[in-house]
Amino acid sequence: MDPRDLAAQHLPAAIPALVVVPDRMQLFMFSAATWNRHRIHYDKDEALAEGLPDVVVQRALLGDFLARMLTDWLGDAGDIRRLSWRVVGSALPDVALSCTGNVVALEQAQGVRLARCDLRLDTEAGDAIATGDAIVRLYPEEQRRA
Amino acid sequence: MRPDEQVAGTATDPIAAEGQVPAAVRALIGVENVRRCDVTTRDIRRFAQAIGSADRVHFDEAYARTTRHGGIVAPPLFCQSLTYDEVTADLLPADGSPVELDVPLPARRTVGGSSDYTVHRLVRAGETITVTSTIRDVYARQGRSGRLWMVVVETRFDDAGGAPVACEVATYIKRA
Repeated sequence: MDPRDLAAQHLPAAIPALVVVPDRMQLFMFSAATWNRHRIHYDKDEALAEGLPDVVVQRALLGDFLARMLTDWLGDAGDIRRLSWRVVGSALPDVALSCTGNVVALEQAQGVRLARCDLRLDTEAGDAIATGDAIVRLYPEEQRRA
Repeated sequence: MRPDEQVAGTATDPIAAEGQVPAAVRALIGVENVRRCDVTTRDIRRFAQAIGSADRVHFDEAYARTTRHGGIVAPPLFCQSLTYDEVTADLLPADGSPVELDVPLPARRTVGGSSDYTVHRLVRAGETITVTSTIRDVYARQGRSGRLWMVVVETRFDDAGGAPVACEVATYIKRA
C-alpha cells in the first residue's frame, strides 16, 4: 500500500516486508559504531558461557531493521516519529530475519497526519524475535515537494 | 565468596536475594550523566553502513540536496551510536556491557529487553548533541528460570539550542 493512498477503509494495510540476514561482520560493525563492547555480540565463548546459542544480534540493531522497513516504505512520504520494540527471542548471525508490519490506525490532529503501525520481526522458520509498534507522520504532497 | 567480600547488592546480600532493590542501587536512580558528542559525516556514514542502509541520503551530499531533507541526514535511530560513553575498557564490567546499566545487583548476565525510541528530528553532520543518561527505575521480576532484574535507562539527546532531537527509554534485563 502506497503511504500516499492510505485511507481508513484499507486498514489494516500491510507494509512491504523487509528480509535481512545479519552476519558476524555486521554485528561487529554495529558494536563498533555504537561503541558497545558487550562481549555477547562478538565473543562466542562468552555467549555460550552465558547460556546463549551463539553471539546474538544487538537489541538496538533489531530496531534499525524495523526502522528500515518503515523508511523503505515511506520514502519521501513520511517520517518515523516513534518506534518501540521488545526482544522476545535471540537473533543469531546468518539467520534470515523477516520484518513485517501493518498500518492499524490513521489519526489527524492539527493538520498532522499520523499512522499507527504494528510491527514484528521473526526468523523465516517462524520463531518470534521482536514485536513492536510505531507512529509515523505522513506528509501531504505539497510538503514533500518543498 | 569470602565473608569480607560481602557488600550490598551482591548475591550474598539478603535484601537483593529477596528481590528488593538494594539501597546502593536505589541511590543511582535519577542521577543524570551528561556529556557532549560532535557528529561528523563519517559518523553518519559508518552508522548507515553498520545498520545495512544503502540510502544515499546518509552519505551522498549531492543526492541528499535533492530530497526534502536538503542535505545529508542520519538514519532515524542514529542516536543509538551516542548512547554509550567512551569510558576506557578497564572501567567496564567483566562482560563488557555498558557502564550506563552497571548497577550492583546479584546478576552477572545482561540482555537487551525493550526500547521506546522517539525521533523529534533527524541529526545532521556538524551538530553537537548533548546526551543525558539516567537510570529511571530498577525492579525485580520472577522469570521462568529465576529472578530477573529490570534496569530502565532513559537517554535524552538534545541539540545545541537545547531542543530535543531524540529520546530513548531502554529496559535491560539482568539475571544471575
